[in-house]
Amino acid sequence: MFCLSELEDTVRVPPSDLNLPLEVAIKKALQKLFLDKVLSIGLCVSIYGIKSIEGGFVLPGDGAATYKVVFRIVVFRPFVGEVIAAKFKESDSNGLRLTLGFFEDVYVPAPLIPTPNRCEPDPYNRNQMRWVWKYGDDEFIIDDSCQQIKFRVENISYPPVPTERAEDAKPFAPMVVTGTIDDDGLGPVSWWEACAPISDDED
Amino acid sequence: RVKANAGALTNFEVLDLLNSRGASKDTTRVIASETVSRSEYKVYDYLMETAASTQTRDSVTKFSDKCKGFKLAKAEILNIINLRPSSDVELTPILEKPDEREIDIEGILALVQELLPPLPTVEAHKENEQEETEDGEQPNMETSV
Repeated sequence: MFCLSELEDTVRVPPSDLNLPLEVAIKKALQKLFLDKVLSIGLCVSIYGIKSIEGGFVLPGDGAATYKVVFRIVVFRPFVGEVIAAKFKESDSNGLRLTLGFFEDVYVPAPLIPTPNRCEPDPYNRNQMRWVWKYGDDEFIIDDSCQQIKFRVENISYPPVPTERAEDAKPFAPMVVTGTIDDDGLGPVSWWEACAPISDDED
Repeated sequence: RVKANAGALTNFEVLDLLNSRGASKDTTRVIASETVSRSEYKVYDYLMETAASTQTRDSVTKFSDKCKGFKLAKAEILNIINLRPSSDVELTPILEKPDEREIDIEGILALVQELLPPLPTVEAHKENEQEETEDGEQPNMETSV
């Protein structure tokens, strides 16, 4: 789910940082610009290293020094078809929302939850709906008691920044991963531990 | 000028990177750390609960090399390393159209078992959590049950 990306960008080192060693100052500026931000290539997770620094000119009227920097960052960008372990965050009538801690916009829409299933108001949480999968005579609830939920990436999208938003709208998510849990081995990990004795091979 | 994909990284490699920067499980770390940011720590915490936390560079490299005989896509090998499946039902969702390809499921699982360290034990009912950091730091061991 992670890869390296190489970028070139113009970086301003503010006057207050000009006493620092150059690489440290540039890295600091890069972190401020990119860390935990979503770019077109994914979510920037860490600055990997600086390849080259050029420039250092002070433009008229500006106390900062401007550099042209080539650097590499570690980016979170899962590939379609990748299976990832996540935790339950919340659910509503549209489906589930899962989280990886550092990334919280994984959505499993209702059609990608195994059927037959039903959606009912969560007795523990007035505002939430919870999903229940019916398998034979058993019913499996999907909620935060599930230690770990595996999903497979169906799609990644980068919604455009909205120009207008309703007062109570959810915070804007610049990167959304859509996942499915409707397949063998996917969904809450506990579903498959229970099934293990039925399968013919046990390592 | 952007090179979007300059190389895929396993979870292990990202965790290794954060470890080399001084990330640790110490509770005072977030306040004290100048080299690892809050958001990087969220990635660290996630990875520490996955197979990456018990892996070594040697085991991951060896595994990748030996996978060459199984006709798997690079992305699938990466996914296997990241998830460390130990059964058929854990491995098949990772593979694309496994029924249409002749894949040696047993062989892959055996190789995983042989080369990749077991997953970290983080279940609530287990009383101890063992972890070894890559750079040979003292393992934080509590008495085992």
